[in-house]
Amino acid sequence: MTGVPLSYNVRSLMVRRTSTLLTVIGIGATVAVLTGILSLRQGFAQLFEASGREDIAVFMRPGATSEGESAFPRDRVDILVKSTPEIDEGPDGRPLASAETFLAVRMRKLDGGETNIPIRGVQPATFVLRGDDLEIEGERPTPGSDEVLVGRALTTRVPGARVGEVIVLNTTPFRVVGILDHGGPFASEIWGDADRMMAALERPVFNRVIARMRPGTDMEALSKRLENDKQVPAIVTTEREYLSGQTAFLSNMLLGLGAILGMVMGVGAVFAGVNTMLASVAARTHEIGVLLSIGFRPLSIFLAFVRESLLLGFLGGVIGVLITIPLDGIRTGTTNFQTFTEIAFAFRVTPGILVTAILFAMLLGLVGGAWPAWRAARMDPTEAIRHV
Amino acid sequence: MPWRLVWRYLAAHPFRSLFTMMSMVAATFLLCLLQALLASLDVAVLNAAKNRLIVQSAVSLFVTLPHSYQGKIEAVDGVEDTCKWTWFGGYYQDPENFFAQFGADPGSLRRMYPEMEIIEGSYEEFERKRTGCVIGDLVAQRFSWEVGQTVPLIGTIYPRVDRKPWEYEICAIYTSNAATLDRNTMFFHHDYLDESIDSGSVETIKGVGVYAAAITPGVEPTRVMADIDALFENGPQVVQTTTEAEFNRQFVSMLGNVPALLSSIGASVLFAILLATLNTMIMAGRERTHHIGILKALGFGDGTVFGLLIAESMLVCALGGALGVFFATGIGKALEPFLISMFPGFAILPETQVFGLALAASVGLLAGILPAWQAMRLRPVDALRAEV
Repeated sequence: MTGVPLSYNVRSLMVRRTSTLLTVIGIGATVAVLTGILSLRQGFAQLFEASGREDIAVFMRPGATSEGESAFPRDRVDILVKSTPEIDEGPDGRPLASAETFLAVRMRKLDGGETNIPIRGVQPATFVLRGDDLEIEGERPTPGSDEVLVGRALTTRVPGARVGEVIVLNTTPFRVVGILDHGGPFASEIWGDADRMMAALERPVFNRVIARMRPGTDMEALSKRLENDKQVPAIVTTEREYLSGQTAFLSNMLLGLGAILGMVMGVGAVFAGVNTMLASVAARTHEIGVLLSIGFRPLSIFLAFVRESLLLGFLGGVIGVLITIPLDGIRTGTTNFQTFTEIAFAFRVTPGILVTAILFAMLLGLVGGAWPAWRAARMDPTEAIRHV
Repeated sequence: MPWRLVWRYLAAHPFRSLFTMMSMVAATFLLCLLQALLASLDVAVLNAAKNRLIVQSAVSLFVTLPHSYQGKIEAVDGVEDTCKWTWFGGYYQDPENFFAQFGADPGSLRRMYPEMEIIEGSYEEFERKRTGCVIGDLVAQRFSWEVGQTVPLIGTIYPRVDRKPWEYEICAIYTSNAATLDRNTMFFHHDYLDESIDSGSVETIKGVGVYAAAITPGVEPTRVMADIDALFENGPQVVQTTTEAEFNRQFVSMLGNVPALLSSIGASVLFAILLATLNTMIMAGRERTHHIGILKALGFGDGTVFGLLIAESMLVCALGGALGVFFATGIGKALEPFLISMFPGFAILPETQVFGLALAASVGLLAGILPAWQAMRLRPVDALRAEV
């Protein structure tokens, strides 16, 4: 069986260029919406999951679903750390654990309105635990002093977020001594000394404990044991697990939104594609008659039109990709309603997303082209050839 | 205007007309839902009660206020009534089964929120029963809860020391026709929470999330707000008193760029459907060249020729739009219980329906103009010479 040459398809798309262009751009817009949402989700996931560490454990009070809800009084923190031999030793030979406070604090935004900025009170061990993950421009806050680090992402969003300036928390002024950079959510936070934060915010409890675990620690078994502890019940997860739990809701919502929009818009695009292909088939009735008469099999005709439609889809996919790529890196912000704090993240266009875009567009082309192609293949050669 | 001709033209290509209409259905459906989502964001702001103020911590959404504040607020000139609102943050059996619960003062809650309409059970019973609660009809629906039933809730912020869930007896079910009172909420006695903390059943610090204050009609709210703020200027917790509208707005502004994202998706949908319709109408115009020549030769004016294509285009789009609005209304109604927790006030309103139809008709008009104008400018002789 001889196939109809590909150049036949390319030429016929060229001949009907207005129609081709309109269809292709329409498919492109549909694809761009889907990939836009997927890359938003990617950026969000990357910010949280990718930066979560496997060797750092997060201890929270049982029942708490995020650190803001968790609470540990000071004496319990000491007991917890002492009664957990799985915690690794630090350079000084003592358990490497740090108790942190966490509170979302109201702040004015530079561009008007209010936002909730996470304030984290940390102990010196936090810096040992995080090590090179943190990049600090300027200095670390001196323990016990009213000094803070400000996340890089905040410098353009809230007033006073610059070294040397002052940020007031409740009624206490804190001096900014450094800018904190981190590949994950910490770049949107303000860090200060835990004890000073407790005093300034009048909240005399820690929210969570983080610690480096000895290699090979069975976290699930540990969590089960601690949950039923009489003195200090706690639940433990790896930081990575904790962070992906924090993003699950928004991530699933974006995925759902992308799927629904992609589906409904895809249906619309398929109908539009069917129209284009139907018109294309109808206009070429005579040609199809000729092709059939000179010996091309109906299957070849069918495949030729399906291929043309796939080509339309592919071109649409390329347009969609071209619209999506410039989105990469654009920063956007919303609130993570798990913690009620604002998070800034960027669109992240990955090769996987681009491949999805092209495949989705070709699927739209395939579905839209199948029926017109079938109609073309079933034409009666004598009838068709008579059609002028 | 020869309307029969319009119908004939539409019927001449039944599939094409149908498919164009179907893609319009998909587009209008999406546009209506997106518009309803966006509009729902502002409902609670626009409909906020004018006579209610909210006293909240100036520092953070999560910082509670002392109980002693209530009497002081009530003593402010112009304040008639106050009600505590404290976020409980519990869930039923599984964190997925999350909904809003607030500790409140049963008496003033009833007085200050006349939009609360009891549809089952008795509010007086709730006022009498210390462990009683009232739930919104959507909560009742979601979990199939009934009046008289005792429901266990696991506290994330207020875990009980005995590690057991909290138990509340449902005394009444309410509904509300105003966006200012969410139907997805449960209210219980604030006193019950306080007593549980006092008796040591829960280890935490007592406090009140926010105070709602009703002001005397005719009193200048800004003066009362300033008076309340001035009372607690020097701590222990600085407060920020706002109107109910302003309080609701802060949650909308937390969404950050989400509304802009939804709008741009809507714009892409609109763009894609416009291209698809334009494509169809250009095809229709092109094939009809010969017909147009005949019409013109018969003496039909340019206006009629122009109108014919516009009418065809608008008719297809309006029909598709009407169907799209119909589906959006039906499916929107079905989605309401799911969406209303994220988007309280979500509903396909008459405004949304008009919006959908108007957009569909405008797309029809826009898509028809170019081919109609081309048809109008044709010279009858050239047109007649065109191939059939």
